[in-house]
Amino acid sequence: MDRRAADRLLLTAVRRGGAWGGAQAAASLLLAGTYVLLPAVMGRSVDAVLGRGDTGLWLTLSAVTVALLVVCDTADDYAGAVANARCTAWLRHTLLGHVLDLGALAARRHTPGDLVARLVGNTARAGSAPSGLVWAVTELLPPVGAVVALALIDPWLCLTFVAGLPLVALVVRAFVRDVSDLNDRYFAVQGRIASRLVDALTGIRTITAAGTTTREAERVLGPLPELHRHGLGMWRAYARVSARDAVIVPLLEVAVLAVAGLGLVQGRITPGQMLAASGYVVLATGVSSLVTSMNRLAFARATAGRIAEVLGEPTGAYGGARLPRGGGGRLEFRGVTVRTAEGDAALDGVDLDLPAGALTAVVGRSGSGKSLLAALAGRLADPDEGEVRLDGVPLYDVDRAELRRAVAYGFERPVLLGETFTDAIGFGPRTPGGAEIRAGAVAARADAFIRTMPEGYGTLLTGAPLSGGENQRIGLARAFVQSAPHGRLLVLDDVAASLDTVTEHHISQALTGTGPLAGRARLVVTHRASTAAGAHLVVWLDAGRVRGVGTHRDLWAEDGYRAVFQPDSEGDGEARSEPDQHPDLHTQPAPEYDGGVW
Amino acid sequence: MSPRPGALLRSTLRTRRREFVRLTGWSLVEAVPALLSGWLVARAVDDGFLADRTAEGLGWLGLLACAVLVGAWGTRQATLQLAGVVEPFRDDLVTLVTTGTLHRSARVGQSADTAGVARLTEQVEIARESYGAVVLFVQSFVVTAVSVLLGLAALDPALLLFVVPPLAAGLALFLMALRAMAARQRAVVLADEAIAEQVSTVAGGLRDVTACGAEATVRRRAGARIDEAASAARALAGLTALRTAALGVGGWLPIVLILAGAPWLVRDGVTAGAILGALTYVAQGLQPALRGFVQGLGGSGLWLLVTLGRILEAADPGAAGAAPPRAATPPPTATAQTPGGTLPRDGRVELHGVTFGYAPSAEPVVRDLDLSLASGTHLAVVGPSGAGKSTLTALIAGVLEPQVGQVDLGGVPVRALDLDRLSRSRVLIPQEAYVVAGTLRENLAYLHPAATSPDLDAAVRAIGAGALVERLGGYDAQVDPALLSAGERQLIALVRALLPPAPLVLLDEATCHLDPAAEAVAERAFAGRPATLIVCAHRISSASRADLVLVMDGPRCRLGTHDQLLADCALYRDLIGHWDQMATDVRR
Repeated sequence: MDRRAADRLLLTAVRRGGAWGGAQAAASLLLAGTYVLLPAVMGRSVDAVLGRGDTGLWLTLSAVTVALLVVCDTADDYAGAVANARCTAWLRHTLLGHVLDLGALAARRHTPGDLVARLVGNTARAGSAPSGLVWAVTELLPPVGAVVALALIDPWLCLTFVAGLPLVALVVRAFVRDVSDLNDRYFAVQGRIASRLVDALTGIRTITAAGTTTREAERVLGPLPELHRHGLGMWRAYARVSARDAVIVPLLEVAVLAVAGLGLVQGRITPGQMLAASGYVVLATGVSSLVTSMNRLAFARATAGRIAEVLGEPTGAYGGARLPRGGGGRLEFRGVTVRTAEGDAALDGVDLDLPAGALTAVVGRSGSGKSLLAALAGRLADPDEGEVRLDGVPLYDVDRAELRRAVAYGFERPVLLGETFTDAIGFGPRTPGGAEIRAGAVAARADAFIRTMPEGYGTLLTGAPLSGGENQRIGLARAFVQSAPHGRLLVLDDVAASLDTVTEHHISQALTGTGPLAGRARLVVTHRASTAAGAHLVVWLDAGRVRGVGTHRDLWAEDGYRAVFQPDSEGDGEARSEPDQHPDLHTQPAPEYDGGVW
Repeated sequence: MSPRPGALLRSTLRTRRREFVRLTGWSLVEAVPALLSGWLVARAVDDGFLADRTAEGLGWLGLLACAVLVGAWGTRQATLQLAGVVEPFRDDLVTLVTTGTLHRSARVGQSADTAGVARLTEQVEIARESYGAVVLFVQSFVVTAVSVLLGLAALDPALLLFVVPPLAAGLALFLMALRAMAARQRAVVLADEAIAEQVSTVAGGLRDVTACGAEATVRRRAGARIDEAASAARALAGLTALRTAALGVGGWLPIVLILAGAPWLVRDGVTAGAILGALTYVAQGLQPALRGFVQGLGGSGLWLLVTLGRILEAADPGAAGAAPPRAATPPPTATAQTPGGTLPRDGRVELHGVTFGYAPSAEPVVRDLDLSLASGTHLAVVGPSGAGKSTLTALIAGVLEPQVGQVDLGGVPVRALDLDRLSRSRVLIPQEAYVVAGTLRENLAYLHPAATSPDLDAAVRAIGAGALVERLGGYDAQVDPALLSAGERQLIALVRALLPPAPLVLLDEATCHLDPAAEAVAERAFAGRPATLIVCAHRISSASRADLVLVMDGPRCRLGTHDQLLADCALYRDLIGHWDQMATDVRR
């Protein structure tokens, strides 16, 4: 983990605490000063009572000092809490914004559970940095002030104390190192348990049917003993330090008291000064509170590291260019190469020119790069080499909002966002009207089942578990609505995979013939020959390269092309791993365009 | 009804009584210096240094050093004992949250509980830390306060007059403010949870957010939650003033009072050493302990109560109101089970007048359905999506319970089967295949842990998953679910379903990510066994392979053979028709 990036982030976050951070620093400073004064004032009061001074004056001063202490303490706590709240909020806004900018990229690198933990839990920890930092500084003052005070009372007292000081410093250093390491390990195991729980929750139907809920709970809890072990390790480190702390501080105090006692015998020191001296020793060894704030800072650093890690991932930059008026969604790929994390080419030197207004089908075996090609068309992914152009403008240069207005996506497994059905279908920067939402839902064959919901389009999504097909149709309705006003290109990535043939047939009518979306450029990733047959143009991908471009009828002459729609003879030929590709090939060597199915 | 936080905390006191007793014992050792410090300092001053007996003064201080060593030993042991109380408590909470969310999701039939994970990582951690802090501060305050009061009484009972009343007043003030603080703390936790909920949805759908161009919308909505959480935190901070005031009255006022009363005490014969000792007791014993108590209880204690409340609420598997309108009724309960442990005799499936709807007001999904399948029948269920195919399989599998009517498996009412017998009676594989992070063997033998390697070989061959097994590196290779395609996950789930000798197998679009030929291989593997097979068809080709076809279209259903239905069911012809255009030769 990059500690320096974590520290930079913490410093920026502290500055975001604003005036409250300053207020806290001031209150905390004043408080530290009061702490330094108090033993001396108390000592003088005792001496006054024992007949060596003005009793009234010193008692009044004592009372005032104590009152000041209480006030500053309150202000310190309040301002610190407010600064922390502001800092946490800033970290959350920043991280959320960055995760949104990363978009699909963040989803590829982190599990949702991991992102949530960073966005909610880790920000709260790292957000305690302002008060942690202020305290780490102001808590140095009482010890320093106390050493000076000891010297003022009697140089021998100071010498006695200073001789014991190195011991204390050693303890503090050892502890800070320990905790950072242990925390990292502890958090890692915690994250593992969380991911397992997420996995199990996604497979809950299998688990329910198999009656294995208890067993699954045990599996999720598998790493618990390890967590327990790391937890105990943290406690052992803490026990060591508190024991050393409990020895060193009071022993120093006893030593100073002994030296002060000798001074008392010799008349160099008054009883009040002896009391003050013991108070100063405690202040001077304010190690325990220093350890607490160091501990808190170590925590903040460990978690800030996890936040900085995500913030350090570069996002795709957007330009400010507009798309030319009246463009029909012409899409060009120029020497486009995309590499996997291992460096293999997932798409290799792809050159394509897809005409405006056309229905283009992308076919190929699983793992050939179809979904990736679809993702490139609307910048859900960026090429490592080459460029993609929409209506002549490189996608890099296109204004973000303009791009989203122009390109809409339908997915095989859409994630629905928003609270109600209306919200989910109209999700995006603009707020479409009710009629528009309904039109989208009708075209996607979702209108009928939405209307059977208790509140119709106003039904909460959380209150209405949807089947895969229903989910797919809502996602499609969303794409239709998004595309309706200014769309140039509609990218449909295997959207019909969970749809039955009747439903699919009805939906296809919206996209072809005289359907409302028939004028758009459509890029359709498909496993179905009938869809390829209905397309104006077919792009045939094979292992990341364009193997052929043409009509279905032309390409059909090639054995390799026909094989794309054939199952492997062993029946499990899609064993290559590409999580985004789902090998639901619908085999049908039907070269004739049937006119209805896209 | 879930247990309340207070009850849970009391039960930890009860179940870990031995650890707590040991902890208290060690904290008594830890408190030895607190008990003796003031008194020893007073002796050293009065009998030693002020009396010009240096050696005696140093001797008293030497005793104090010994007390310190003993106390430090106690500190170390007490901290370790504290770990022995806190870590098991955290384990309990993690277990509670995990089993609670899983059982609740299982009951509801879907994983609606996305915030469960945030709860696990964050709230449990807060509860762990605050529990440790509360135990530490409370026990150390009690032990220290008692020690200090005893020590003061030993110096001079009159000193108690200056200490006990303000201490009591400060404690009372603090305890009165605690209720208001708890309410504001709760608001903070609720606001944090609202963030977690919003953020989980977004984290799962980042691709969709980007594709919709909805970054600004999401940022605005989640941002509003973030700001709400920040203002809740500020509101809570407002009450810290009360907390500090209580500390001022209880911890600082005694010092001022002792100083103010000192002239009177001295006149009354109290020695200079006793005054020093008393101030040492209060300033270095009582005051820090009270500070810890007030800050510990006012901070950590509130967090503990509130987060525990939330954790228990979330972990309650039977929480009322948690079930969404379309959720299932609970699976068969213990009251309905037959005592004899009867298992279905064979794979017969009988539905008698079964009606099921997801809400009383909604149109039923299945209405008054009668169905009788002889053992070994291969039934395909077809119909447009949303027609209720999954609901029907869930009803037959006993995962859902009909509002009216009865489902019998092998002559036994499905409701009468407990979970164990139910899972031995039928296998249900849903569309989304569940693969766990573990070995491949673990995954394949999931439903039949007794399966041997030859059993696995046979099933893998039958399903056609040989190449997949080879690619993954054999049965003992670790499987990472995230690296498998949906089709590969389905192959694993199918092998899994083939292994147990259940008389009924239900495949609910379990082959939808396979290509048609692979699907045919898999279905034939199941059809080749004596078990009854019910397939929710993703492709119409499944129907042509079946003995019988059930056409579902909303609550209306038609049962017949492929040929019968072709002859007299318009919807079936429609379904076949669209398919035929595309796939004339799949039914070979």
